[in-house]
Order: sequence, then C-alpha cells, then structure tokens
Amino acid sequence: MEKILSKDRLREWVDALDDCEVLAPAFADSVWNYARVEAETVIDLSHTNTINPPKQFAFPQREVFFRFERADGVPRLTPTLPDPRPTVVIGVRPCDGRGMPRNDTVFSKEFKDPYYWARRERLVLVGLACNQPHSPNCVCQSVGGAPHAEEGLDVLMTDLGDRFHVKGITAKGGELIARGGDAFASLQAGDPAEVARVHAAASSHPQRPVAELGTVAEAIRARFDSPLWEEMARHCIGCGICTYLCPTCHCFDINDEVTNPNHGTGERVRTWDNCQFPDFTMHTSGHNPRGDLGSRLRQRVAHKFLYFVENHGTQQCTGCGRCISECPVGIDIVAVVDRVSRA
Amino acid sequence: MTDNSYLPQIGRIADIQEETRGARAIKTFQVEFPDSEGFEHDCGQCAMLSIFGRGESMISIASSPLVKEYKQFSIMRMGRVTSAFHDARVGDFIGVRGPYGNRFPLADWKGRDLVFVGGGVGLAPMWGALQTAVAQGEDYGKISLFYGARTAGDIMYKADLERLQGAVEVQLSVDAPEAGWQGYTGFVPANLMDKAPSSANAIAITCGPPIMIKFVIQNLKALGFADEQIYTTIENKMKCGIGKCGRCNVGKDYVCTTGPVYSWAELKDLPQEY
Repeated sequence: MEKILSKDRLREWVDALDDCEVLAPAFADSVWNYARVEAETVIDLSHTNTINPPKQFAFPQREVFFRFERADGVPRLTPTLPDPRPTVVIGVRPCDGRGMPRNDTVFSKEFKDPYYWARRERLVLVGLACNQPHSPNCVCQSVGGAPHAEEGLDVLMTDLGDRFHVKGITAKGGELIARGGDAFASLQAGDPAEVARVHAAASSHPQRPVAELGTVAEAIRARFDSPLWEEMARHCIGCGICTYLCPTCHCFDINDEVTNPNHGTGERVRTWDNCQFPDFTMHTSGHNPRGDLGSRLRQRVAHKFLYFVENHGTQQCTGCGRCISECPVGIDIVAVVDRVSRA
Repeated sequence: MTDNSYLPQIGRIADIQEETRGARAIKTFQVEFPDSEGFEHDCGQCAMLSIFGRGESMISIASSPLVKEYKQFSIMRMGRVTSAFHDARVGDFIGVRGPYGNRFPLADWKGRDLVFVGGGVGLAPMWGALQTAVAQGEDYGKISLFYGARTAGDIMYKADLERLQGAVEVQLSVDAPEAGWQGYTGFVPANLMDKAPSSANAIAITCGPPIMIKFVIQNLKALGFADEQIYTTIENKMKCGIGKCGRCNVGKDYVCTTGPVYSWAELKDLPQEY
C-alpha cells in the first residue's frame, strides 16, 4: 500500500490512532529523543536521529519479571508480564528499523522471551527515510542497509518536501495507514519517480566504508589474539555508552530487588547490562574470561561482525553511528574493524 | 513448565549433606517439587537455582536422570547466592528453573570404557553421568574414576565413593602428603599417568579447576586418547540460561545453551574465553 500524506495532515492520522500510545521524536535537552505525542504536541519530523534507538519499546531498561513474597513461609510468585496498549513509534530511521529484526532473533531462538514479545507484538514502527546522512558516522550502506531500507519497519515514509510518501511494508503497517482514512491521498503520476529520485540522491552521499564487509568476520577470527585489541582499547573508560545506545545490543542482567526484607517481598528485575564492564563476565572466584579492555572491545566488535554472522548469517551492526558519535574517548568501531582487517 | 522461562518452579530443600568444611565448604542439597511437576533432565545439564531476595546461580544437576523423586545439587560457598544456600535449612523453599544446556552423549558411549577424571567440586557435574553409567553398567565397559582434592577432608561424596568401589575403579588422590592417607599423593593428572588407563575403546570425561583440566587433557593425549574421546564441561557467569543475556559466550557459543558439555575436538578450536 502506497499513499501520499500532506505534512499538514500528519496530525489527523495520529489522532485517528487514539487507542494507541504514539511516540515521535522531540528535541529536548540538546538531543532528539522519542516522547509521547500528547494532544498539544506539535510533531516535528525534522530530526536527525534520536539519541536512543527504539529497542527500549520492546526491551525496556528495567523490566520486572515477577514479584515475590512469603505467605505462611512459602514463596508466592506473581509474574508481571506486560500488557501494553498498541504502541506506534513514528520517525524511526532505517538503521534502527533494521535493528529490530536482529533483536527479534535474539529474543526468539530456542526460548521465546515472553516479556519482549508481549511488547513487540503490539509495536508498530513507522520509519522515515533519511534524505541525507545525519552525521559523518552514518554507515548504513556500508553494513548492507540503505537510507530508505524497509527491513524491520512496518511503514516507511519518505519526505517529499510538503508531503510524505507513505508505504505500508507489513500487514500491521497497512492497517495503520488504513486507519488514517481521508488523511491520505492517492499517488499522483509523478510521485513514484520523485520517491525514486529522493532515495537515489540520499544513497549517493558517500559513507565511510566498513572495510570489505564480506571479509571482516574472517579478519576478526584470524586476529583474535592480536595485541591490536588492547592497543585500540587502551583509552576506553568502560562507560558502556556504546552498547546502551546501540539499536541491537541486548545484553542484560537479572537481580533480585528486595522491597521489604522483613516480609521477604521483592522483585526479580531485568536491567540492561554491558559487555564493557569487567563484572559482566567475572566469575565469583575472581577469574575473568574477559578481564582486560582489549578482550572486551573485541567482544563488542566480534559480536557485531563475527559471532552474529556465524549464528544468524548477518552483521549485527546496522550502521547508526551512535557508538562512534557518543563515545567520550573517540573509540570508533569503523576504524577498529578497518584496522583489524588491514593488520 | 510454563512458557515463561524466567519464572521458577518452587522447590523444597528435602535434605542437606555437609560434604566439606572450610571457607569454601561444599553442601549437597536434595530438592523436591511439592506443588509442581518438576522436570526431566539429561546428564550434564544445569538448573538456575535461586533464593528469593538474594538472586540466581547456575548449578549443575548432580543426580542421575534415573532419580525422579528429587534433584541433587552440590554447591560450594562462594558468593552471595551460594552463601545463602549454605545458610538455608531443610524445609526452606527455593526457585528452580531449567534444565538448561546440552548433555553428555552417554547413549553414544555404550560398549566403551568410561574414565571419569575430577577435581574438587568438579565431581558434581559428572556425577549424574557416572551414576547413570553405573546403574546401566551392563551397557558399558570398565568404569573408572580418578578423583582428587587438596586434602582428605576436601573429598566430597565420601560415602557414595566407598559404596561405588567394585562397580567403579575409584582412584583417589590428595595434593600433599597426609598422615593416614591410603590413596595416591599428588595431583590428579599425575595419578592419571601413574595408573595409565587404556585409551582403547574408551571415553574420558574430566571436570575440575581449569589448571587441572589443562594437564589432564595433556596427559590423556599422551595416553593415546584422541580429541574426540575426551569430554569436559565449561562454566561461565550466567544470568538468563537461555542464550540471551550475552555474557557466557565462548566465541559464538553461549555456554548455557550450546554447552556446558564439549568434546575436546570441539573445544580446542574455540577461543579460550572460559
């Protein structure tokens, strides 16, 4: 399904989704981030990319698995599976869209994660193609994506100046467009050519190459024990921002949080965790299989460009560039991969 | 089992045996499931045990799958959760989810000699396989166990080891000379070389401290065991047990789902991230 949506009628479409939680980018505190669309919100889709990717809407930073309490000496568990309203996220950039099917894979495999999927099944991603790169660190095309990639999105919008071209990618996306009714118009004769022109122009912007993508996995495997890793990681301060902001990093911790020690009540909680922390892999004995900075940088890069390829046939990096742009000490995954590939 | 992999079943501690004493004492727990079905498991698999309010730990299931009444776990006092287990009493309730991980391919080993080589608490992950092989003794050739601990007081499953003599050739060792000690004095790999079990038509299973495993494998190879005849289990820090939380990987493998059991033929090509 392909439609045209005049920019001044975007709000009309959003208003028709009154049973949904609708989120759109908003500029606050010097960054774009997703915020709930309220009655008075003026939706502004001139954003670069949001500081957080949309993974949080299926995989929140903190998630209670169940509450526990003691009743007559016996533990009683109350699962807290989420039951969210349908959630529509507008303005998702295609790099982040491509992140979601990768997360879907992780949270499926042999064991389907019920908490992730309770949210994910009610999540609709409305993408917005990038007409130009937002930063020198945008490398979507270098990792097999595109500024107008559809993978992972339910709807892809393309900015045509005073109007959006809106394409339903999935059945869920088609239904969402249908709910906009008269807000949408049919395509005019010149529209398909105009969309193609905009997409081609966006794709023509040069991007930093991620080495020879097809040979990166082999290069990492071959240089697994290279001193390069420690050298490239030497200035890492282990803050973990690279993974927290990554659209595909999914590692987590599970802990018990006690609310009332006298009554044995509390919650078992999942929180985001981070492969850049020494604690992440340290055994209780103190032994740590990834005890130095180099092995932890290697883990992050190898997970994206080697292990995920071995296990699932595709890179786990979708080229959003956040881990490069936001690293306080300038560690650059593209440069790391490049150096390992050339070593 | 429910579809919610994170929701434990409630287990009840039916029995506690004090195996060894000291700062890193070992206790063995028998856990029953009074209000749920429990679960079936295979030799080598693990379960995520928890004490509510303290947290979860992945522990290998030490009982044989042939034992249906309870699951057995031997736990060394190490950190927050394992210490909470050591403070627990018979009748206390715990959380149990699982089973997780792969298995020892016992069925493939029928007709062969089995050489178990363990050190310290490393006897526990092999114990279910050893018990099963003994119970189905007619299916296997000679079963031997080389087991060592730092001192005689650190030997676990003492009564069981005495009971097994005969069905199993038990070769015990302690690290240093000790008054009254009748077994071998020295490290486990040395005891193995001293007795030199035949590698012909045999499978070796080893579990224990990493340094012991390293030398046991060296010695097994010197005794003629091929990489495919040597099995071990590895452990890493785990949180989810279902291949998602991201920390227990050795290269591309999550130990919680692909492991913990590996043949040396498989393991030698993986990075040493364990």
